Amino acid sequence: MALIIKYIIAGLVRYWLIHIDYWQTIANRVEIATPLNSWKRLVEGVFLYDHNINPYEGDAFHESPIMLIFFHYLMKNVPYLLPLLFTTLDLLTAYLLFKTSKSFIKIFMESQAKNKCEVAEESYKLLLIESELEESAEYVLSTYLFNPYSILNCAGMTTTVIQNVLVAASLWGASTGHAILACAFVALATHQALYPILLIVPIAILLADVNKGCNKCSYIKTLLAFVLCWGFFIYISAYIMDGSYNYVYNTYGFILTVPDLKPNIGLFWYFFTEMFEHFRLLFVCAFQINALALYIVPLTLRFRKEPVLLATVLIALSTIFRSYPCIGDVGFYLALLPMWKHLFKFMQQKFIVGCAFIITSALGPTVWHLWIYSGSANANFFFGVTLSFATAQIFLITDLLFAYIKREFTLKHGSSRRIDDKPAILLLR
Amino acid sequence: MALRFISVLSIVFIGVFCDEFIEELFIKPLPPTHLYSYFQFITTSTADELFLHSHLSPRSIGEVISRFQVEELHLTLTEGQWRHDQWGYPVFDAAPGAELYAWFNPRVKNIDKEWRRLSATLSGLFCASLNFIDNFNTITPQMALWPSGSMHSNVNATTFLRYASLPREIVCTENLTPWKKLLPCESVKGFSALLNSRMIHNTNYHSIGIHVRKVCTKDNCTDTYVEIKQTVALVYDYKIINTNNWSFRYLFGQGLPGACPLASSSKIYVDVSSNDTYPFHLSPTPDTIVTSYRGGSDIKLAIYNISMSTEMINIGAKYNSKYQIQLNMPPPLHFSRHILGYGKEFGGIVTEVVNNYWTDIDVVVLENAPWWLPIQLSSLRVNGEAKSKLVIAQYYSPGRSRQKPYHLELLLKLPPRSTTTITIDFEFVFLKWQEYPPDANHGFYIGAAIINANLPTARNYTSQPISGVTYDSIINASQPWYPALFRTNGAMVSLPTPDFSMPYNVICLACTVVALAFGPLHNICTKELVLKPSGTSLSLIQKISKMFNK
Repeated sequence: MALIIKYIIAGLVRYWLIHIDYWQTIANRVEIATPLNSWKRLVEGVFLYDHNINPYEGDAFHESPIMLIFFHYLMKNVPYLLPLLFTTLDLLTAYLLFKTSKSFIKIFMESQAKNKCEVAEESYKLLLIESELEESAEYVLSTYLFNPYSILNCAGMTTTVIQNVLVAASLWGASTGHAILACAFVALATHQALYPILLIVPIAILLADVNKGCNKCSYIKTLLAFVLCWGFFIYISAYIMDGSYNYVYNTYGFILTVPDLKPNIGLFWYFFTEMFEHFRLLFVCAFQINALALYIVPLTLRFRKEPVLLATVLIALSTIFRSYPCIGDVGFYLALLPMWKHLFKFMQQKFIVGCAFIITSALGPTVWHLWIYSGSANANFFFGVTLSFATAQIFLITDLLFAYIKREFTLKHGSSRRIDDKPAILLLR
Repeated sequence: MALRFISVLSIVFIGVFCDEFIEELFIKPLPPTHLYSYFQFITTSTADELFLHSHLSPRSIGEVISRFQVEELHLTLTEGQWRHDQWGYPVFDAAPGAELYAWFNPRVKNIDKEWRRLSATLSGLFCASLNFIDNFNTITPQMALWPSGSMHSNVNATTFLRYASLPREIVCTENLTPWKKLLPCESVKGFSALLNSRMIHNTNYHSIGIHVRKVCTKDNCTDTYVEIKQTVALVYDYKIINTNNWSFRYLFGQGLPGACPLASSSKIYVDVSSNDTYPFHLSPTPDTIVTSYRGGSDIKLAIYNISMSTEMINIGAKYNSKYQIQLNMPPPLHFSRHILGYGKEFGGIVTEVVNNYWTDIDVVVLENAPWWLPIQLSSLRVNGEAKSKLVIAQYYSPGRSRQKPYHLELLLKLPPRSTTTITIDFEFVFLKWQEYPPDANHGFYIGAAIINANLPTARNYTSQPISGVTYDSIINASQPWYPALFRTNGAMVSLPTPDFSMPYNVICLACTVVALAFGPLHNICTKELVLKPSGTSLSLIQKISKMFNK
């Protein structure tokens, strides 16, 4: 019952926000709408498509052709349903995350049972209890439903709402062992925004863990299914655009080369505004490798046994370092964090990170207004805010990882930090 | 003997030469406060394409035409803004700054390449920044521009057309000097002697131009000749010349030193229609006064035939009364354009077109937004309606950053006595710091919109009919409609700017944040947690004292 009330309240808030007078302001905020996901550009793309102008000829539209015909159909036939659709999809994301975290709990319990023999006696009290974990699943739900970032993202009717549904669905598919489902959804998300491609690694591991049996066969099957699905979506998109693959320049090309430098909450915009032209390619490559490829191998090797943590961290890192992030992405990975409630007591920077989130969220719109509308500040102010927001997110993620390894260590060696009754400190070596 | 041979030779050559030079000046008072003077220097040549055997036509233009296979070319360099609602219509309208458009021969394979080479060459020829014309500011108008000369009838003329305007271009003496050099008499004799840069840059509006087209010699158009028309349009403000009793000496700083000896005709036309309402006295008396009935309006033209003479001719007008307030009859069609919105995030362009006439007027409006001002077609509203009945046809070519401008053309049927408002929204683009021009906070110029109209009346209309070569072709040239090509005023927006002084800081700071993630993640992935015995922890003061004791 309580759950249903939560859904209803969250749904009503979203639906109401879409219908208030300030909706336009919400939908146009730089923090919410990027050139990639904004509702305005979606409308423009559909409008051009409807007038037989190829929306990928110009610079207005960067969504995939599948989204184009999907929304073309909706806007032509049932435009009045769109606010409802976005609200429902966002609630669906919350539901899928709730379901996912429930099945993750099972995975946690299983792996804990497996490793119980290695746990030090004095650390038994650190072990997870099912009821506590059940609670954290509900926290996941509440965090997604009532996180202002997620609410505003949905109210702005950005296509990130769709991307969140797809990612949540693929996580849910992976956690319950539906390989094809997971691959299809992650392929669709990749087709839309490219960065979810990272998720295929934790999903492959998860599927192998859940479905048991031959690990390597499972990895290969998952990868194959993903590549086939992705290829299929790319082909279907080209089919929609009359066999032309030119849309790729406007979707993946746009994401990778960062031609639009409109400010957002990420690190790219000011960096490439101020970049010297002959170094541009080098730094675009460096930043994209940082976002797409750099962390995946080491983190996979290190957290092979914890695919859920791997998934959380990869989603978060790709959100921080992607070229056009928005607060909808941030809201999504924040909702995954309550699953790691048992790590919170090992985290050291909760207060700093919490304060930084609140302060930057308040300062961002303020300095934006000062810069763009009153002309009394300049770009550096907004850049500073986005920089500290990114720093806060990085602290959060690295702190989470440190907390995890500290807990791992404590489980194994007990919580007393002493060697031969002499005080000792915990060091990385 | 030798002398005789030369004279025979020269006679033979003159027989071969088949070019003609005509100079004309049209003066029209624009009461109450302005005066329009329009020079045109027409060189026609039936000579070969390269102008190898011509003695009057500018060789450099001929080479440009033949090298790049240009069929028709229009280049104007303009400073100031023509006010259509107050001044009526000019003979040739021009966009603020530099404007260039040309039709190429259908044989040209790579038009874009030839177009860039053409603009680069003209840039050198006229000392203008036309070399900044590239794909990102070039459009191919579909409906707004039509050739005025002969064209191959079996091809779609718009395919071979390229149009670009540089609204930021500043027109100065350095452009006028090479322009004058193309004239056979340069500025020694003839009307071009009046073009004193000191005086003509002292006007409210000045525009120099060159218009090249091919004209049919016969009705069946089997053969064509090249017509090069060099024009200067000046609008004087009586306040600047300090009197409304104008004369050549006031306007140009000197009298006219006779006609150009090479010109076959040198005529001055003064529009004296306003003499009835605001009487003035012309001196010296004109040779003839002609009344022209054209499309429901009659104008009186005083014509002077200027001959070669050694004495200075000073034509002027003296007004009988001191000052009179006059009500101007607004032209049948006028327009204005402005920018909407505040802040540097979103804005809109509004184009207002007013039809004063009692019938419908069909107009083509061409909006040409640079790539850094992305317009959204979905926000196009005509009189506030998304689907307006006034729009008969529409063409839109979306722009692409750093590659292609946004280009929108609308064919509208303006209802009688109405104001039509065309609104379209745009979003400001954040440029890279090296893409901003010097003095970035000065603002960015937006080129004029083109309005092509078929006017049903010739009220305030001064242009020549399309088949006319000399200015007297306007006399009694009634037609079913009068094609007119106008430019609206340009506009200016202020784009958001980054801090230009800190590229290094930004690069360092952003990289630091990336390193903040890389460092701990590297540690987590490569190192393991160990317990290490620690000594008793020192307080801060102890640490500092330890440091100093070393």
